[in-house]
Amino acid sequence: MTEQSGGTAQQGSGAERGLLAEARNIRGLLLVVVLLSIGIGLIVVFQARLLATACDRVVMHVEGLAAVLPLAALLVLLATGRGFCSYLLEHTSAAAAARVKQSIRSRLYRKIQALGPAGLVGDETAPLIETVTKGVDELEHYFTRFLPQLCLAAILPLLFLIIIVPSEWRSGLVLLFSAPCIPLFMILIGRGSEKLHRRQWSRLSRMAGHLLDLVQGLPDLIIFGAAKREAEAVARVSEEYRSATMSVLRVAFLSAFALEFFATVGTALVAVIIGFRLLWGILSLQEGLFILLMAPEFYLPLRNLGLSYHSRMQGVAAAERIMPLLARPLPQGFAGNLVPPATPPAVRFEGVSFRYGGNRGGVSNVNLELPAGSITALAGVSGAGKTTLARLLVGMIRPEAGRILINGQDLTLLDPDAWRSRLAWVPQAPYFTAGTVRENLLLGRPDASEQEIHNALEAAAAEQIVRQLPHGLETLLGDRGAGLSGGELKRLALARSYIRKATLIVLDEPTAGLDPENERLVCLALRRLARDKTVLVISHREQTIAATERVAEMIDGRIERVLSTAEFLAAGEAFR
Amino acid sequence: MTFVGRFLNLSRKQWPWMAAGVILGVLVIAANSLLMAISGWFIASMAVAGQSGTAFNYFFPSAAIRFLAIARTVGRYGERLVTHSATFRILAELRVWLFKRLEPLAPAGLERHAGGDVAGRLRADVDALETLYLKILAPLAVGTVSIAAALLFLLWFSPPSALVMLLFLSLAGAGLPILIRRFSEEPGRKSAALAAALRNKVTEGAQGIEELILLGAVDRQAAVVDGLSELLVAEQKRLGRINGLATGGMALLAGCGGAFVLLIGSMQVHSQQLTGPHLVMLLLFCAAIFEAAGQLPAALHLMPAAQESARRIFKLADTPLPVPATPLVHQQPHHNGICFRNVSAAYLQGIPVLRDVSFDLPQGGSLVLTGPSGTGKSLLLELLLRFRDYAGSITVGGIELRDLSRETVLAMIAAVPQRPHLFNGTFRDNLLLGNPAADDEQLRAALEDSALDLWVAGLPQGLDTLIGSNASAVSGGEARRIALARALLKQAPILLLDEPTEGLDAATERDVVSRLIQRKKRSSGGLTMLVVSHRPACLKLADAVIPL
Repeated sequence: MTEQSGGTAQQGSGAERGLLAEARNIRGLLLVVVLLSIGIGLIVVFQARLLATACDRVVMHVEGLAAVLPLAALLVLLATGRGFCSYLLEHTSAAAAARVKQSIRSRLYRKIQALGPAGLVGDETAPLIETVTKGVDELEHYFTRFLPQLCLAAILPLLFLIIIVPSEWRSGLVLLFSAPCIPLFMILIGRGSEKLHRRQWSRLSRMAGHLLDLVQGLPDLIIFGAAKREAEAVARVSEEYRSATMSVLRVAFLSAFALEFFATVGTALVAVIIGFRLLWGILSLQEGLFILLMAPEFYLPLRNLGLSYHSRMQGVAAAERIMPLLARPLPQGFAGNLVPPATPPAVRFEGVSFRYGGNRGGVSNVNLELPAGSITALAGVSGAGKTTLARLLVGMIRPEAGRILINGQDLTLLDPDAWRSRLAWVPQAPYFTAGTVRENLLLGRPDASEQEIHNALEAAAAEQIVRQLPHGLETLLGDRGAGLSGGELKRLALARSYIRKATLIVLDEPTAGLDPENERLVCLALRRLARDKTVLVISHREQTIAATERVAEMIDGRIERVLSTAEFLAAGEAFR
Repeated sequence: MTFVGRFLNLSRKQWPWMAAGVILGVLVIAANSLLMAISGWFIASMAVAGQSGTAFNYFFPSAAIRFLAIARTVGRYGERLVTHSATFRILAELRVWLFKRLEPLAPAGLERHAGGDVAGRLRADVDALETLYLKILAPLAVGTVSIAAALLFLLWFSPPSALVMLLFLSLAGAGLPILIRRFSEEPGRKSAALAAALRNKVTEGAQGIEELILLGAVDRQAAVVDGLSELLVAEQKRLGRINGLATGGMALLAGCGGAFVLLIGSMQVHSQQLTGPHLVMLLLFCAAIFEAAGQLPAALHLMPAAQESARRIFKLADTPLPVPATPLVHQQPHHNGICFRNVSAAYLQGIPVLRDVSFDLPQGGSLVLTGPSGTGKSLLLELLLRFRDYAGSITVGGIELRDLSRETVLAMIAAVPQRPHLFNGTFRDNLLLGNPAADDEQLRAALEDSALDLWVAGLPQGLDTLIGSNASAVSGGEARRIALARALLKQAPILLLDEPTEGLDAATERDVVSRLIQRKKRSSGGLTMLVVSHRPACLKLADAVIPL
């Protein structure tokens, strides 16, 4: 967060390079946008010329309707052409925006999933979600507004100047010399506001996280009577956001102010010059009025560029979060391509170490063997590194030292997808999507048959749960499985892992939260399931451990000892 | 349109700011149109004077041009600042209002709304309401007032031109926008709904990434996200095209309007009802005033999406209270005894989970509820927290729970809920939630009793270590113990614990249980405990055990 608020210019230009690279994918459409805009510019020139001619005829030569009618008819024709071009322009812009947003969002989301937990260490969830959804949308105007306007600001004023100078070079000079002041001031002022704007983005995502956090924790806030206090915090955070944004805007609007100031003064000056030359009879009203009408048009592309400068800052700020993610290298050790064994694997940890950074736990120098088809319990106090070991085994994270051998083959050499398809894992807090029970059960294998679902529910002692639901399997689960108890969710997660045809099963505290009767049922199911599979069960519950064959005990990130289950339980008995 | 009324009512404190923004907007448009009009008149008059050799007082018009040029630039800057400031003020007010409305709904009233989505709605939709004043209401007001004033101005010089412009301006300001609005209603509504659905799916994908990867469901999830994104982008593209209709139509109408005023004006000049310079003035004025009408289609274009956001916000805020509002009579329980008589309750209406539960828990007593999962143990604790309503009778200190205000009840209770939430902040922040005034000694005691003291001492920054979002930096067992310490810190006379030792190993569990027993002894009968657990170690906490 602090790094972003520092907002180095280098980071910004890197992000902008990324945006320009993306623009290359839609350059055809962008070219059409620019050409249409130039076409509209030319129509504007003809409209001004026609109007000036008509006024000249009416005012100076007091001609009647007959002299004006053909001009008016032409004006209507031009207006139709301009309207049509404007429509085509927006149409093309919308197509370009759609293509670029879809492409970036798709790649970004897939990249985040490809990075996985190992590649996203230190990234918070809320800003990631923000980046994929709103962040990508905020790129749109960089491509459809800023980039075309940048081209037009270079082309159109020059074009208009070429048309104006032959008839009135003095006014041309005024325009020529006032024009460069505009980009100059815009850059001077824009620099300052860009830094502020970048800080703004991190503030916005922090505010998003804050609100998400408070709403998710509302029950806890209520329990501790802190909801009223936190309502004040919401007010405070919003107020901070307001004052920060306003200080950005005060500066950002200043550049628009400078721009309008020069454009308005330039136009006024041109009007005065033309006025006196008309008074002295040196210039015709037709030429004079034409130039007066063209003066605001001369500044218009520059003003539009100034307005789109905000789009640029917004786009670059969003790109600063998107581009580094897209460019982030995939975590090491996930590029293996060997086919994992189809039979229950034999697993061997050899001197495996992994630390979470600081002294925040992990495992060090673990040596452990899980024979093929065995069922092993992993016991130990909380914080001993049991879950870390399980995460290493399923390949969520890679060892910093040592290796994990699957049938003698290094896990990092196996094809990660193929490996994952051979295993089932039930974590401590299983994840449920906001869908039906059936959708959640089929998450791992959408093609499972009705019979397989039935068998899995039976095996996980979860039949009863589903039967009690109002719509059975079609009942909608709310967020985080709301409506079901922790134990019930555990059993559904077990059923989900049963449906997946795995050869290696890793269960993290499968019976925590279950009453003794349910624990007994799950343990029975566990035994049934363990047939022809290698199983690792994290648990320190006696009854669950009793369902295993051997017990590895962890202390402080190390394997302390490996005993047969009978020995372990006997030792436990003696200890008590 | 009722949502506009409700929005205005909610933001009534900011009316002065909102009105100031509109007034400045009208002044800017007036200054701009008059600047062009007077410049045109000035030039034409100078040309006429030059041709006829008559004198022309050019001091007034050049002074007016100078003044209007400055008024326009300064006014525009002021208008932008004022309207944005008003917007953010409204925004802050809406956020707080909504948070306060959600508070009495949690958790039962919010269950049907996905958690990621509730926060997403709160943020994205309140953000979308930002467009209601800044991009919709203010431009509509400014445009309408400016057009009316401009027509009066035209009427003064050339009534027939005013009539023509009335036609073209109402086509541009009302006809076109209504057409645009009809076209964009459906895509606007769809894109708001799709954006919410996309956010939901992305949230799921990000929060459940580990299991999605291991279940081999990432690609399917990515395909769903792609599909939603594609639909959303297609709707946004449609909206962009409709926007093109608006700008194109505006260019067409402005050009045609100018041509007709030219025709009418030239006839009037010919019949000497209008001077030549005045015709030039009116032509330039008409071209400039279309700027005012030009805001209207864009504003109405955004209306459907804002309406959808507003609808969802108000729907969420209007969710009926899961527990009836607190009574007016203020009662204070005299002791901490709890009594259940024939209590029935349910998570979902019509599927009772608790049926006819009765028990007595005297002041200072402790009770452990056991039983298989799904029998409503956690629900029973939620009843005491007034998260859900019940049938039958529950009394606390001899007074019916229903007749007590939520504040009174919660002041007496500290609880570790089934799934405690830890907030993104430091350990200290999370602990102090239980009791903001706690001193170091109380903190130390609470940490010790939750068997956290050694662990915290081992952390590099101790209590000031950050927990991370969704408690990502702590294990499940640690999170539960932090929640326990937080509850102990509150030192309330009633303690509700839902599986307080879940995820703890046997040794730590024994330690925590014995410390809880000691704490209870120290309170010398003042602490009433209701524990949900089926861990044998926790049974030691109980004077009585009730199987559910």
